[in-house]
Amino acid sequence: MSKRTLPRLLQTPAVLLLLVWMLVPLGMTLYFSFIRYVLNSLRRPEWTSPSLSNWRGFGNYEFVLKSKDFLLSIQNSLVIVCSILFLTVILGVLIAVLINRAFPGRGIVRVLLISPFFVMPAVNAVLWINMILDPVLGLQGITVGSINDMVEGLRNAPLVGWFFSLWPELTPISFRATQTSALAVIIMVTWQWTPFAVLIFMTSLQSEDQQQKEAAVLDGAGPWSQFRFLTLPHLGRPIAIVVMIQAIFHLSLYAEIEIVSRGNGNKNLPYLIGEFANNNIGAASATGIFAVILANIVAIFLLRMIGKTLME
Amino acid sequence: MAIVAQSSKLSNVLWPVLAWIVGLLFFFPIFWMVLTSFKTDADAVKSEYLLWFTPTLENYLNMTENYDYWRFARNSVITSVFATIFTLVVSIPAAYAMAFNPTKRTKDVLMWMLSTKMLPAAAVLYPMTFLTKSLGLFDTHFMIILVLSLINLPIVIWMLFTYFKEIPKDIIEAGKMDGVDTLGEIKEILIPLAWGGIASTALLCFIFCWNEAYWTVRLTTTDAATLSKLIEGNRAPEGLFFGRLSAVSTAAVGPIVVLGWFCQKQLVQGLTFGAVK
Repeated sequence: MSKRTLPRLLQTPAVLLLLVWMLVPLGMTLYFSFIRYVLNSLRRPEWTSPSLSNWRGFGNYEFVLKSKDFLLSIQNSLVIVCSILFLTVILGVLIAVLINRAFPGRGIVRVLLISPFFVMPAVNAVLWINMILDPVLGLQGITVGSINDMVEGLRNAPLVGWFFSLWPELTPISFRATQTSALAVIIMVTWQWTPFAVLIFMTSLQSEDQQQKEAAVLDGAGPWSQFRFLTLPHLGRPIAIVVMIQAIFHLSLYAEIEIVSRGNGNKNLPYLIGEFANNNIGAASATGIFAVILANIVAIFLLRMIGKTLME
Repeated sequence: MAIVAQSSKLSNVLWPVLAWIVGLLFFFPIFWMVLTSFKTDADAVKSEYLLWFTPTLENYLNMTENYDYWRFARNSVITSVFATIFTLVVSIPAAYAMAFNPTKRTKDVLMWMLSTKMLPAAAVLYPMTFLTKSLGLFDTHFMIILVLSLINLPIVIWMLFTYFKEIPKDIIEAGKMDGVDTLGEIKEILIPLAWGGIASTALLCFIFCWNEAYWTVRLTTTDAATLSKLIEGNRAPEGLFFGRLSAVSTAAVGPIVVLGWFCQKQLVQGLTFGAVK
């Protein structure tokens, strides 16, 4: 045995574990996606156990592609992920620049800012949808209610009453409804992940070339052109990384969607799989394969990007 | 510095004020949850008790009665602690091998490990349920520990790898000269040297385990159910239990948020795989 064989063998347990973890369930999903397989069927009891004799070819894929929820859930997945990415990157850059300067209490502000990231997703969803966004009992409802009361009181006031009588009565938004539930998910996930973007951008800003900046100031560059031509290009790479990592996490959002509306109006791909898996395992598996393909498209970009810096 | 000298007095005041407002805004929902946890369920939904109310510990004292909190908390602690230990035991030797004895394929292996992390969990939902049930592992601590370890293994190996790479090879080689074997090298040289990095990696792994909400919800019913399961099962849509729901939520996330404050820096390294420094 050569001197280096044992040290190299030390990675085998990790590799084997991950290999089994990846191949076995994924292989089963692939297999199930090509057969007829349901959990309950009185009419066709032979379909309730997985068997090659129930071969269906691409039938499950066709079924999924034709179901009206499929396109809707892909669209929802993309709308939710893209909105969150857009908001977290913009907010993240602005806040990172804001707290990159030294000011009194900067350490405390950092701690306050990062906290949402460590809140467990289930608590995040429960907290926002009930205590903050609820149209009657939450802060939203209470705020809208008290504004209405105030305006109502002012309507009867002398002199200014006519002005306030022109004001409309505000109606609170119900975030559990079909049209708005995706919005609630976007708000709560943005709250949770903006701190992550801030943290990464801030780390990156600290390595910004200060001499270059000072030279730019001497050349008469204002704060805006400093930001536009020095800071923003410097943040290019961290922004790309934040986008990719978040895309991977948010494509598999589940707890938030389940808690906000049980998928009403904002089903995404993982949620659709969960629904199919209540009975139609074949369709759930085919949808799963679609989800893997979608995630892979994102992953290939990420791996390329990280791979470049890995061995530096 | 020139930049500071250039900025006006007004912005010197406005800047910190704005930063504080943003910080407080982001923290507000957590503050609100903690505040509500000290209100009775009845007071929690009344606008006249929004900020001024008689604080009560009732919700915390009744947590065991209302939610059986400690059973779920115990499961969260057990699964997260053992999953973290198991992950470290597997990944320290692996990261050691990759950092100090790399082959041509090491880079590919690391990339492949990362790619397993990108597999959407939902895609293998049914096979996993099927396997755990047929192996009799459904709703057991063992299964949850195993799954949590496997989920976090790639990130933990990556983090350790980036730490180990910073250690000069000569120090490890010196141990070889003294006739220390490989395991001794890891135990007596590597672990003491990289202790800081290993500790913060463990902390981050623990936080991820604690917050995991897909498999812990779907592969358990009661015996191994963690706090994620408890909260998801008690979403209280009617708003009747805001007080007690806040208390149990605060108890579920409080320790983790505090732990998180201590490993902000490692979070950046860990989640960007060392690509942002």
